[in-house]
Amino acid sequence: MARLTSAEIRGQLSAIAQVRWHIFRNSLRTLGGRLELVSRIFSYFGFTVMGFGGAVGLAFGSWSFVHGDRVELLAILFWSIFLFWQLFPVMASAFAENIDSSNLLRFPLSFPSYFLVRVVFGASDPSTFVGSLWLLGLSVGVAAADLSLLPLTLLVCLLFAVFNLLLARAIFSWFERWLATRRAREIMGVVFLVFVISLQFLNPVLQHVSRSHAHPYQPYLARILPYERLLPPGLAASALTQARTGNLPLLLGALALFILYSLVVLWILVVRLRSEFSGENLSEAAARSSAPVAKTGFTAGWQIPGLPGPVSAVVEKEFRYLSRSGPVLFTLVMPVVILLVFRFTPATSEGARSILDRVPDFVFPIGAAYALLIFTNILFNAFGAEGSGIQLYFLLPVRFSEILAAKNLSYSFVLALEMLFVWSATALIFRPPSLGITVATLAGVLFVFLPNLSLGNILSLYSPKKFDTAVLGRQRLPTASVFASMGVQAVVIGIAGLTLFVSLHWGNVWIAAVVLFALALVAFFGYLFSLRAVDRIALGRREQLLTELTRAS
Amino acid sequence: MDTPAPVIATQALTRYFGSLVAVQDVYLNVAPGQFFGFLGPNGAGKSTTIKMLTGLLAPSSGSISILGRDLSTDPIEIKRQIGVVPEGMALFGRLTGSEYLNFVGRMYGLDRVTAAKRAAELLDFMQLADRPKALITDFSHGMQKKLALAAAVIHGPRVLFLDEPFEGVDAIASGTLKSMLQRMISRGATIFLTSHVLEIVERLCSHVAIIHRGRLVAQGSLEDLRAGVAAQSHAALAPDAAGAAGDPQPPLAPGEKLTLEQIFLRIVGGSRAVDQELSWLG
Repeated sequence: MARLTSAEIRGQLSAIAQVRWHIFRNSLRTLGGRLELVSRIFSYFGFTVMGFGGAVGLAFGSWSFVHGDRVELLAILFWSIFLFWQLFPVMASAFAENIDSSNLLRFPLSFPSYFLVRVVFGASDPSTFVGSLWLLGLSVGVAAADLSLLPLTLLVCLLFAVFNLLLARAIFSWFERWLATRRAREIMGVVFLVFVISLQFLNPVLQHVSRSHAHPYQPYLARILPYERLLPPGLAASALTQARTGNLPLLLGALALFILYSLVVLWILVVRLRSEFSGENLSEAAARSSAPVAKTGFTAGWQIPGLPGPVSAVVEKEFRYLSRSGPVLFTLVMPVVILLVFRFTPATSEGARSILDRVPDFVFPIGAAYALLIFTNILFNAFGAEGSGIQLYFLLPVRFSEILAAKNLSYSFVLALEMLFVWSATALIFRPPSLGITVATLAGVLFVFLPNLSLGNILSLYSPKKFDTAVLGRQRLPTASVFASMGVQAVVIGIAGLTLFVSLHWGNVWIAAVVLFALALVAFFGYLFSLRAVDRIALGRREQLLTELTRAS
Repeated sequence: MDTPAPVIATQALTRYFGSLVAVQDVYLNVAPGQFFGFLGPNGAGKSTTIKMLTGLLAPSSGSISILGRDLSTDPIEIKRQIGVVPEGMALFGRLTGSEYLNFVGRMYGLDRVTAAKRAAELLDFMQLADRPKALITDFSHGMQKKLALAAAVIHGPRVLFLDEPFEGVDAIASGTLKSMLQRMISRGATIFLTSHVLEIVERLCSHVAIIHRGRLVAQGSLEDLRAGVAAQSHAALAPDAAGAAGDPQPPLAPGEKLTLEQIFLRIVGGSRAVDQELSWLG
């Protein structure tokens, strides 16, 4: 096989760099692109401050550890850098430069060039930038305390940076592979859901442990520490410790083990990129069965009594979508989880089992308010899940107001179900809410929900954004919708909460029930009024809607 | 004899995108029962026109009449009687094929039993019935295209608009689709189709219109277009014809029958690029 000359490889790499520059330059042609640049400048300014600020802190920390002859404590700093470098890209994926390198495979690119492109361009992210600055700060601190350690510190920091870079790329590449199929993304969604739910219980568990032991974490730390020294951040600190004490064999051993770790990570990354390079097939389409398929019968769709056929059809479609959506499952489960968390969070004062035991009347309203807060997100981007299917709504002989009304009806059913969950959870975990509290809370929910529906319908047409209902996280609502949603929540939940609070203060919760029902009635007329405007807005906004929702994600 | 009223008619249809004129003064006339091919080079205005005809895009000026009704004033009634396979296929990825067809059928006003029966028949006909649980998002491009076509016909439309219906569809499925479309024509439906595959248009369509740089440059039956182009070619060959030397098209041999591709290239002048020499090509 003919090999590529180094001039060819240089030409290819410079062409790739040039195309990225052109993509960036062309992105500035649109207002959105220019705003994106401004937001990136701001965020990178923040990262620079974070990088230099952290570097100064690390310099001071490393200086004090080395100066005070506690070199082994440098492990704390290396661990901090390591955790930031690996975890920050996961938390701030919006800032990462994720390029689709599969397009490059059609060119006569050698594997080393492909590898270089994936590693170098993939590493141009804030974690590499900030992590490198921090390592530099750490080196400066060590050198200031003991100049003779400078060459070794620089070598260790360089190795540490390469290790982090390779590990971050390896993790990203493998995740990319695992999430290539829809089913894997859905499984990850459930894992994420379990993770978030588990996190909620962390605080109550820690509080219980803290109360039962004077130094609760010491036994665990004592058990972990010997192993920590065998891991890369511990090894980096260990190498410097051995250099300080002049123990050459252990120093060389630590460095050798560190290099071995880097080689293992390199191998893991090479395995992944080699598969990509050889053109792996990530198709998730199931193989067609060879056996002849018997003619299946037909199953008629839903007919909801009292609703026209098209409205029933939209409700059925919405339920099918919602039932296949991880985030909806999340919104159904979370309020109950939160009530459980409150139940197990110890009260600060004596005499109460948990913090909500002191205000039992507010358990159901708090649960309902929390459910509303997380549920109303989907109202503000009602067509986001449709993607290119939005075209169908403009081709059908059905008015947009009917489609939105059907969608709203589906959301209302889900919310009713959600309220049933919250009420049952309140009754089982705490105590059954009184009839007055139940009625007043439901009136409040209606009052909060209807303005959200009205505004959500309008903003769904004005500010749509495509999203995948199966994926949890990493999908932001349009900024305008986020602010509008926050604003309307603050006002309506504030009014409802205040009404309930004042009425309880006066000792008659039925006042709140009546007032909130009256407000809900006003909100209902507002909703009907907004629904009438929907057809006109949809027609006027059809090009923007179609462009935004049919574009490839 | 009275000419039947056109099923699709546009008057001075124009669409601007900012300062760009995408479609200008288009007068289309499609008679009932015609299999009408709408052709044009890339960026000529085909998709913009079909989007305006189906209500996906508002015209800047001009009018559209479908089945004798004005699209701007009577869109719902028109939409009830037309079927469309748009460029993006308009599918709901997280439904199964059967759920989607059921949904579309009911949105067109079919009762739920009829919608379900037709959905099952269409899935069978389109050979999509063997993966009843698969979501549309997991379908191949060709399968999605067939499903989009099934959805466009589930309510038995009188007029069918198809934007590149055969793109990505295999030869077997393509044969099935063509026979289905021809059956619809024989039963009186009208089909308006855009395609880049001129052989398909030539085989299927009785009438053709060609749009070039936003303007309609030819419209009529294939025979009319052939005759027109042949006449122009002969006129250009006449000794006193001005500009004959600059005509890039080869002259017609006596009795030669032009293919649609030749007609198309002569009308839009597309042979220039072929003649340019790319000396570095092997």
